[in-house]
Amino acid sequence: MTRRSHVFETMGTVVSFAFDDGEAARIDLERLQGTFAHFDDRYSLYKPDSELSRVARHELDLADASDELRAAYAAALDWRAATHGEFSPHRPDGIIDLSGIVKALAIERAGDELLDGGAVNWCLNVGGDVLVSGLDPVGEPWSVGIVDPQDRAALVTPVRIAAPRRACATSGSAERGDHIWTVGGSPSEFLQATVIADDIVTADVLATAIIAGGAPALDRACASWDIDVLTVDRAGGLRATPGFLHP
Amino acid sequence: MRVRAVLGSILGSVTVLVIGWQAGAAAAHNAAELSTASSSGAATTPTGAATPGSTPTPAATSAATSTASPSPSAGSSSTGSSSTASRTIVGATEETPFGPMQAEIIVAGTRITNVKLLQETDMGGRSAEISNYAAPILRQEVLKAQSANVDTVGGATYSSQGYLASVQSAIDKAHL
Repeated sequence: MTRRSHVFETMGTVVSFAFDDGEAARIDLERLQGTFAHFDDRYSLYKPDSELSRVARHELDLADASDELRAAYAAALDWRAATHGEFSPHRPDGIIDLSGIVKALAIERAGDELLDGGAVNWCLNVGGDVLVSGLDPVGEPWSVGIVDPQDRAALVTPVRIAAPRRACATSGSAERGDHIWTVGGSPSEFLQATVIADDIVTADVLATAIIAGGAPALDRACASWDIDVLTVDRAGGLRATPGFLHP
Repeated sequence: MRVRAVLGSILGSVTVLVIGWQAGAAAAHNAAELSTASSSGAATTPTGAATPGSTPTPAATSAATSTASPSPSAGSSSTGSSSTASRTIVGATEETPFGPMQAEIIVAGTRITNVKLLQETDMGGRSAEISNYAAPILRQEVLKAQSANVDTVGGATYSSQGYLASVQSAIDKAHL
């Protein structure tokens, strides 16, 4: 019942991995770090030698790229279609940029590996996107505090997540600037969008789509996927699905 | 017929109320916004394909009073306003910012006992009760959170440097 944390840098951000001491024997921290390093090495556009950087420079044809890269690109294209273009794997200049989906793919694989290794109770937080399994060290569902984009020392609200809704992803413009390209090219009406879903890729992609597409994207996401959403608009106003309200 | 006309007018108002309620009772200005949006939508969009002649829109409430033709459900055994048996009355489909919507009311005698909002889904035009929609809420409507009471912090991706000043960093320090 003792909580342990393992923190490391990867993909330009920080991973905070929490687990109960009793799980330690079933958790391979080196493998966990290696999984993220693998995704970073292959997809980072900040690393000139990454496979994706070589594709972006037209040194490597997409057709000759690894199966894994092409699968990631195909998944991103499927999401572009499913979100009416609100999520896109292309920058406005046409360069393939998979950063909108790669972090989630890495979290998903790391989570699968943890489960394969027999670890049951853990919480994997990668730069603010969270995937959990089981319960926290006091035997409750893991509690995620959603940060206030207007005051990053404060939290808007806590939310407990547990199977089958194990994933909580947040997109926004508060920390890294307006890095999400909006559909109309103007700043998003939402500062932040948090999506809770069964899997981290769905949660992350839809959070991005809601920032990019605004209120219409929010309504479409809520109507089409089994998710809970909390948004913070530029005036600080909140919108939430029932899952975020007082029980 | 008079009862039907009155019910038609109630249905028109209920549509407005229900949409307002969905938007969050506490956020009155948003409800007003939504009403405006749905009335302007009705002005430009042909409505009532499912129930011809019935247009219980906010803009046409007075007209609806005389023309609305709400359709009691087929299984209804009730015929008069004095009966206390329940009847289900479904309003016309309206275009709203959330897609086509319909109000459904359950009436016992002359009393409305339940109101449901139906939305046509993408799948074969089947209607489903709306269960998931992000409504405007007040901060008081969500629980307050202290960093001491959460296991982890969700937020838009922070940089490695941003992490140092983050609440997550403080939580990690407490457990390392």
